[in-house]
Amino acid sequence: MSMVRIGVRNLWRSKLRLVLVAALIGTPFFLLLVMESIGDAVQRQTDVLKESVNNTLQLRSRGSMGHVNMVGNEDLLPQDALAKVKGVDHVAKAEPYLLAMTPTEGHNFAMVVGVDPDDTRRLESHGEAGNPKIIAGRDLTEADRGKRVAIIGQGFARWAGLKPQDIGQAALTLDLKRTHPVIFALDRPPVTLTIVGIYASGYVFGDMQLFMPFDTFREVYGVRDGISWLFVRADSAENLPAVEKQLRAMLGNVADIISPTTVAEFQTTATRAVQRLASSGIALAAALMVIVIFFVMLLIVRERAWEIGTLKALGASDAGIAMSFLTEAILLCAIGAIAGVVLFLFWGGALAHLIFGLGITPFLPAQYNTLAGTLAPAPRFGPTTLGILVAACLFAALAGSAWSIRQIIRLSPIEAIRHE
Amino acid sequence: MNDTHSPLRGRLIVLREASKVYRRGDQVVAALDGINLEVPERGMVALVGASGSGKSSLLHIVGAMDRPTSGEVTVAGQRLDTLPESALTAFRRNTVGFVFQSFNLIPNLSALENVMLPMEFAGTAAPERRRRATDLLTRVGLSTRLTHRPRELSGGEQQRVAIARALANDPPLILADEPTGNLDSRTGQMIYELLKEIAKERTVIVVTHAEPLAQLADQIVHIKDGRLSQGAQPGMKARSSLTQ
Repeated sequence: MSMVRIGVRNLWRSKLRLVLVAALIGTPFFLLLVMESIGDAVQRQTDVLKESVNNTLQLRSRGSMGHVNMVGNEDLLPQDALAKVKGVDHVAKAEPYLLAMTPTEGHNFAMVVGVDPDDTRRLESHGEAGNPKIIAGRDLTEADRGKRVAIIGQGFARWAGLKPQDIGQAALTLDLKRTHPVIFALDRPPVTLTIVGIYASGYVFGDMQLFMPFDTFREVYGVRDGISWLFVRADSAENLPAVEKQLRAMLGNVADIISPTTVAEFQTTATRAVQRLASSGIALAAALMVIVIFFVMLLIVRERAWEIGTLKALGASDAGIAMSFLTEAILLCAIGAIAGVVLFLFWGGALAHLIFGLGITPFLPAQYNTLAGTLAPAPRFGPTTLGILVAACLFAALAGSAWSIRQIIRLSPIEAIRHE
Repeated sequence: MNDTHSPLRGRLIVLREASKVYRRGDQVVAALDGINLEVPERGMVALVGASGSGKSSLLHIVGAMDRPTSGEVTVAGQRLDTLPESALTAFRRNTVGFVFQSFNLIPNLSALENVMLPMEFAGTAAPERRRRATDLLTRVGLSTRLTHRPRELSGGEQQRVAIARALANDPPLILADEPTGNLDSRTGQMIYELLKEIAKERTVIVVTHAEPLAQLADQIVHIKDGRLSQGAQPGMKARSSLTQ
């Protein structure tokens, strides 16, 4: 019978005590799992926010809307701004746009946008809602570069008398000499574009736009260089303020920079706050486990001092005896962990939701309430959780029984006689 | 039985001016005071004395459960007063078998497992442990109680398990501290007779208050205030001496 097996058998010596200790250790394990699930939920929230929150800065010529034919707003960003922006740290993508306006009865005007086929089709005034849905035909592709093709919003198509079934043969002629109180005439010939797709955006004005390839726009409007708008996407919301700072230093004298920094700061602050809360909870749970194991093992060693003395008198090594007690401590923790898991599966979700709600609510602006509601933590038991439990078991057993094991090693075999 | 431990011909235990001093607050208590003792390789020695006379302290020092404050203690050729702790553990494992007054059986192990335990510490293979433990329990008359736990055994049976356990690693020395202290007189007599039989092949030192039982020993050593006060019995075959 090895000392490890003796440790295993010692565990079952008092069933009542085993149940009590399992409950005592199970409670901090339960707390640990709740906190871990909150941390997990916050991580998921962060991932979703990274996708939902606008990480994109918009640059346009200082004091100008950057539309090539808009009265008083025709100034463009210098062409070299694109290369400069691409050299900034944490810039994931830079997307140049060219914009013009064209008069349309009933809606005043429609927007004409030159965009690289690879880039996001952003809708003016609704910049965060990119890539509207194609409802007929197709989207622009790489093969369309430089070609006189376009996709248009369903409102613009209706105004132009284009029907979905006409896509492929449909054409739209832009008269660049037509004016409007805010649109001046360009001395350019009219241009006919083949409409390859119709999109829907969900916005009335968003549906009054036309997207053509960037190179095509340059040729149609005679814009040899310059950029109307430059969308700069940071690699994460956390890095957005740093990107903005560098851009302001580099291009602040020629460009207006429109930034969603406050949203990014909110995300960072809220995430950190809740993760700190979860980490504190995990640390507290681990400390509670260590304290429980400390007192339980102290009690066991005091109670079995004569046994330890007897084993030493029989020639057991200190390491062997310590191993049997350590085995018992690890198993106590493991049983506590199982109790904690059972509690967690029954009540973990409710408690995690409560703590999560209390923790996150103060940081959430009203528009994110729905988002937070969909991210309520649920009890999940995956490999990560199992790993955390095993690590917590070993940590609590080792840290909690360290003092007792020191006592065991210091015990004299004469303790065997004190029993008498 | 190990016959290799015999540095001094015929003598298993040699104590020279062995003393043990305890401190109790400001007081210094001499549990053993310059003991000189030689014990032969076979036979039964009874250590007799009043409570607090130092007989248990002497037993602990001879059994490497405690160290002398001064003096030399040689048992089976090993100087216990100079051995490091790890060597003392090995000494207790291989050279001594202990029999305690309260039996000190591990409560959640069966009789067989209790006897197998010292062999486990000595690294004996499992089948050999089981075979030898069964033999020993049969020898002490407990062949039908192998799987019983201590609480299922009478006091006399528990002490017989403890004696079998003490013999597990075939040590040359058995130390029994008041082995009949918790037994009725008839059972005590049986235990003494068992120890007496064991003493035919090794040294058995028994601490006892009971003078009638001590009379069964080959040698009676009286101890008082940490000093030896009486010599060997005339019937002692092996050479022994007491000097004080």
